Amino acid sequence: MEKDPFEIYKTPPLQNSSLIVGWQTRDIGKLGYKVTDFLNEKLGGQEIAEIKPLGFFPFGGVRFRDDLVQVPESKFWACEKNNLLIFRSDEPVFEHYQFLNSVLDFAESYCNAKELYTLGGVVSFVAHTSPRRILAVINKAELKKSLQGYGLENMTWEGPPAISSYLLWLAKIRGIPGVSLWPEIPFYLATREDPEAIKLTLSFLNRRFDLGLDLERFNLDIRDQNERIAQLRREDAEINQYISQLESGLRLKEEEQLKLAEEVYKLLEKGG
Amino acid sequence: MGIKLYRKPKLEKPIMFVGWPGIGNIGIIAVNTLKDILKAEQLGEIESWDFFYPRKVSIRDGLLEDLDFPSSKFYYQRLEKKDLIFFIGEEQPTEGGRMYGSGEKAYQMANLVLDVGLNFGCQRVYTSGACVSLIHHQMKPRVCAVISSEVLIKELKKYQNTILISEIGGRRGGEGTITGLNGLLLAVAKKRGVEGICLMGEIPDWLSGASFPYPRAARSVLEVFAEILGIGMDLSFLNKMEGQIEEIIEGIYAKFPAEMKEEYDRRKFIPQAKPGTITIQAQIYIDERFKKGGDEGGERPI
Repeated sequence: MEKDPFEIYKTPPLQNSSLIVGWQTRDIGKLGYKVTDFLNEKLGGQEIAEIKPLGFFPFGGVRFRDDLVQVPESKFWACEKNNLLIFRSDEPVFEHYQFLNSVLDFAESYCNAKELYTLGGVVSFVAHTSPRRILAVINKAELKKSLQGYGLENMTWEGPPAISSYLLWLAKIRGIPGVSLWPEIPFYLATREDPEAIKLTLSFLNRRFDLGLDLERFNLDIRDQNERIAQLRREDAEINQYISQLESGLRLKEEEQLKLAEEVYKLLEKGG
Repeated sequence: MGIKLYRKPKLEKPIMFVGWPGIGNIGIIAVNTLKDILKAEQLGEIESWDFFYPRKVSIRDGLLEDLDFPSSKFYYQRLEKKDLIFFIGEEQPTEGGRMYGSGEKAYQMANLVLDVGLNFGCQRVYTSGACVSLIHHQMKPRVCAVISSEVLIKELKKYQNTILISEIGGRRGGEGTITGLNGLLLAVAKKRGVEGICLMGEIPDWLSGASFPYPRAARSVLEVFAEILGIGMDLSFLNKMEGQIEEIIEGIYAKFPAEMKEEYDRRKFIPQAKPGTITIQAQIYIDERFKKGGDEGGERPI
């Protein structure tokens, strides 16, 4: 592993910033990627640094997906006007502790980050027509108080930690208050996009940081996706029944879940 | 990458007992049981986050309460004649998805364990593990030893039910590998001038891939530990666990076809030199739910 894990392109122009982290590995509903991408696009995020991949990712060859070579990326963007530091990365394969500490080192040392927000979808058995919730995990009781009124729901869970929970824990040790946002994603949209969850997450950030973002374009995406699934329901009685069951709060059997996920995947794949 | 010591007791040339999980968890059961019987006190720990991904997060009512890592802890006890340090690692650091310790991380951990030992003046370390052999499961497992120096042979010969690994049947000149940290620690100890002995309880070859523990062999190792320390130990509390495991094994054994059982039962009377077909066939009788994933690790015949 290299001694200095960062490559800094530009002196970060941030002070007392908030760090927003999205992961593009196992990115349920493409939430982490889409939210950070939208923020960078609309807030003029400038690429300022990256964590060098050596030591954190395997280099025994190269991955490819859809004919394209995939290179692990771990980049920081600065949205100067809004004082946001955005970090988007593949999940490291090795040395998680050092990698996550490097993220916080950069955020603290170069951008004086004071708060952490992590983004990630959580697979849910809600129907896509139902309202989504954002489940929240917070690392300090004081922050929990200041997040009241945003409509976040408290998560209770014990089990293997996601990388965001690990980062949140390391932030807690350093005294950085942070929250992991886990918007619900219907399981059959988990491998596609969920514009409803993306919009909900952006709405929270919009309000929290007073960003003035226009989220109208997501309404179009939501309408378009809902219409396509509605068409599928009209054409396929079985799929309609499954979604109706979910809408009534009923669980599906495993084979029914698979069938629904497969059909919706195929449907949405056609439209890109 | 650090060591955290909770206290610094004055210990005189302590000997160290070290255990990590492995085949049949023989070594870790033996070392952990010895530590518990002697009521050893906590001494310190190796900070786990450099070696392991956390295994559990606890979130309650929206608050992140804790993250739980596999522990790597030191304990100590002063006996009348000997001071002791124990190290118990709940997991072996691995690379490349292997089950038992390997690579740079394992090497670093072995060195950290020895750093603590040397810091207290330790000159000898015992590790423990499994010796996969052609034993019948109804026989008392022997304890097979690998040592860091020939001068230790004479001492080992004194202990009951203990043999050098070269004395076990079915081997070519006593060569083999002790996979994982129970083995690697001996290498690092030798390099750093510390005497090392690995005491391995025999486990039947066909049970080496099973996911359940093999306490019979741990008992054999514990009996040798008691001799080494010159103490009496009441191991009756192992009876219950042994009984439960015996029941599972006997259940599998009962399903062996007559011909196979006959061949296998010869192990009771004639030392076997080759595994023969029994090893492969008998493994089939271990239900899938008792099989482990990953590599096999441990000490194996070559």
